[in-house]
Amino acid sequence: MANTATKNMRIFFSKTGRAIYISHLDLYRLFQRSIKRGKLPVWETEGFNPHVYITFALPLALGTAGVRESLDLKLIEDISREELISRFNDALPRDIRVTDAAEPVMKPTEIALSEYEARFECDNAAFAEFLSSEHIMTEKKTKRGIAELDLKEHLDILERSDGYLRFTFPSGTEFNINAGLLFDAFEKQFGTEIYTLRITRTAIKCRNGEIFH
Amino acid sequence: MTYKDKLDRILLKVQKPSRYIGGELNSVEKDPEKVTMRFAFCFPDTYDIGMSHLGMKILYSLINDVPGYWCERVYMPLPDMEEQMRRHDILLYGLESLQPIKDADFIGFTLQYELSFSNILAMLDLAGLPVYAKDRPALTPIVCAGGPCVCNAEPIADFVDLCILGEGEEVNLELMRLLERCKAEGTTKHEFLVRAARIEGIYVPSLYEVEYNDDCTIKSITPTEGAPEKVRKRIIKDFDSVFYPDTFVVPFSEIVHDRAVVEVLRGCIRGCRFCQAGYLYRPFREKTVETIEKETISLCESTGYDEVSLTSLSTSDHSEIERMLGTLATYSDAARVNLSLPSLRIDRFSKELVDRIKSVRKSGLTFAPEAGTQRLRDVINKNITEENVMNSCRIAFEGGYSSVKLYFMLGLPDETMEDIDGIADLCQKIIDLFYSIENRPKGGIKISVSLSTFIPKPFTPFQFEPQPTEDVIRERQKHLMEVVNKKRVTVSRSHFDVTHLEAALARGDRRLSAVIYSAWKKGCKLDGWTEYYKYDKWMEAFKECGIDPAFYVNRTRSYDEIMPWEQMDVLVSKEFLIRENKKAHEAVPTPNCRESCAGCGVNRCVGRPCFEYDK
Ligand code: SF4
Ligand code: SF4
Repeated sequence: MANTATKNMRIFFSKTGRAIYISHLDLYRLFQRSIKRGKLPVWETEGFNPHVYITFALPLALGTAGVRESLDLKLIEDISREELISRFNDALPRDIRVTDAAEPVMKPTEIALSEYEARFECDNAAFAEFLSSEHIMTEKKTKRGIAELDLKEHLDILERSDGYLRFTFPSGTEFNINAGLLFDAFEKQFGTEIYTLRITRTAIKCRNGEIFH
Repeated sequence: MTYKDKLDRILLKVQKPSRYIGGELNSVEKDPEKVTMRFAFCFPDTYDIGMSHLGMKILYSLINDVPGYWCERVYMPLPDMEEQMRRHDILLYGLESLQPIKDADFIGFTLQYELSFSNILAMLDLAGLPVYAKDRPALTPIVCAGGPCVCNAEPIADFVDLCILGEGEEVNLELMRLLERCKAEGTTKHEFLVRAARIEGIYVPSLYEVEYNDDCTIKSITPTEGAPEKVRKRIIKDFDSVFYPDTFVVPFSEIVHDRAVVEVLRGCIRGCRFCQAGYLYRPFREKTVETIEKETISLCESTGYDEVSLTSLSTSDHSEIERMLGTLATYSDAARVNLSLPSLRIDRFSKELVDRIKSVRKSGLTFAPEAGTQRLRDVINKNITEENVMNSCRIAFEGGYSSVKLYFMLGLPDETMEDIDGIADLCQKIIDLFYSIENRPKGGIKISVSLSTFIPKPFTPFQFEPQPTEDVIRERQKHLMEVVNKKRVTVSRSHFDVTHLEAALARGDRRLSAVIYSAWKKGCKLDGWTEYYKYDKWMEAFKECGIDPAFYVNRTRSYDEIMPWEQMDVLVSKEFLIRENKKAHEAVPTPNCRESCAGCGVNRCVGRPCFEYDK
């Protein structure tokens, strides 16, 4: 089979259960192996050390589940969407599932925010107080060192009840806030622990408000 | 709260959490309702090391292939994880079920090196079980141990219920069936152990009484309750058709050997006199090229690995090595898989083949002459000559290599300073050779010398020999540093602290169980890790138990001394080991098993000659 790219594809997948502990770097290797294992017709880089070429639109933080994450690749052979999905799923560990595949429409640089859903157990009154404070200051690692960041400025709450929060944070190649930072800040400021925190990224959206696809 | 929920609370607080959660590709999940025997397979070291171990992969697949039997993987958590587990009442669990291993039927440890002994205690304790076998009266879990170290299991005799001597592919299932029956019959643990001791290859330490002489040597080892006088090691006779997994669990994170591995042969024809593996894994058996090819393809395809490596004690000794490498290179080229061949004797192959392999992977050139002079190499029966080394180096330098790694041992029997000078001389000759070659690679040559310390091991002709004392070892190390060409050669030395303990444990007796217990109580665990190793605590433990490590390490043992492992029979006779020991002191080598049979005794037990000799 000739190694000539014929078609760009965007693969959508979920990463849940035990798989949330796979780091971004490890996820990259995992997909490369799965492509090899599934004998999928994916374009490889040329050169001394050829490897399957894939790129992720937006990394997912360690510990956060995702239901519609995506990665891009180039096919070198025509293969139906259904077959691509099923061959991927046969080759992947069970907590990573490919749910959809399509030709990419938007560019990853258009991504603006992520929508999250969090379920947790903690002191509800304290958490309510925390959310209503004027500033939620935290420290964020940047390329230039550690910077102060007001999470409140970037937080957009969509829905909330005791032990449940649906919200958005900015995302993208330029500026990105991990959902976990919000809960870390709570633990730190109130000196309490959150039990069974489960965060899921439910959607990735672009600047025009549309779902990334 | 389930264990999964509990783990979700702590995993983000530890380094590389994916190694504590299971769920990797090809890991086996079974319905607990339908499981009749649960085997918690423990590797007494971290995930990254344990997951690289081939023996465990083989037995994992073998057990899981049996309906109703479930084998799980268990590794030693690093201190950050251990702390979180203790804080949140999480007992040591299996990676497949995420359930505590104290409820398993078997807890099996594979013992690859002596420095993992303290981890057995640490893991049992983390599992919520008493570390002493006598304090675990219930029938299950049965704590067992296998792997090369059980050829002398005496230092851990007080902690394990039974040991499995030799190759586990058949005996493990026999043992599981027996326990299944005993559970159904409702027998006691003692009854199970008495019956288990009748299975060939099973050693039940508690069924043997050990008496000592006044000088602390052993007076007698007496079996009780029908246990055999000698426990015979198990071997797989038909090695070509022995079970081999068609797939491996593929870890999420990177581990030490992150690739497909195919075992091409078992045993070794060479009989280097310091090498325990060379005697333990006799006789030499190999797989056919067809089997090796089949297993390679199946592993690569089912895992998605893009690298496969061949493993054995001495892959170059495969009778059809050229054809094998040719066949595999053809596959690996087509499948775009890297073929990696650790420590191949390249002087024995055609130029064409060497080129082909090299094109696939540029791994460094390594040799293990082990000793600096031909005389000492004859003492240890290492049949690498200076000429072999030079020929291989020439081939390699002409092929573009410019770095060489050499392994030597220090403190060998009958070693003198001349032998240390010999190491420096050999390095210099390689350097001179490099500069004499016209089309040599650009830049200078780099030699790295890895200097380990000789550790006398049971079931080798050197089991009678002392390890030199610290002063002697340090003096010889220092001498080498003075004579070696420091501009081109870098020397890495093993730490005396570590080899000293290893030497004591390797040939220890039952009295060391108390020392191991005391050391563990003082916080010793993960002894294989420099950052966690606590030599001073170990020495304190020896002192508190009134035991001098020198008794095990630095003492010459007479041929008629009863060794602590005398009740174990690895099919190599003591007479043979004595003969070889005498020849060593005369610096007389022994031909390898393919050239002629030296009469070690293995063939008698197998019931056929190891090789078909002419005449
Ligand atoms: S060649 Fe020597 S050192 Fe290597 S495995 Fe064989 S006997 Fe042991
Ligand atoms: S019986 Fe002879 S050929 Fe076989 S392993 Fe022993 S010495 Fe070698």
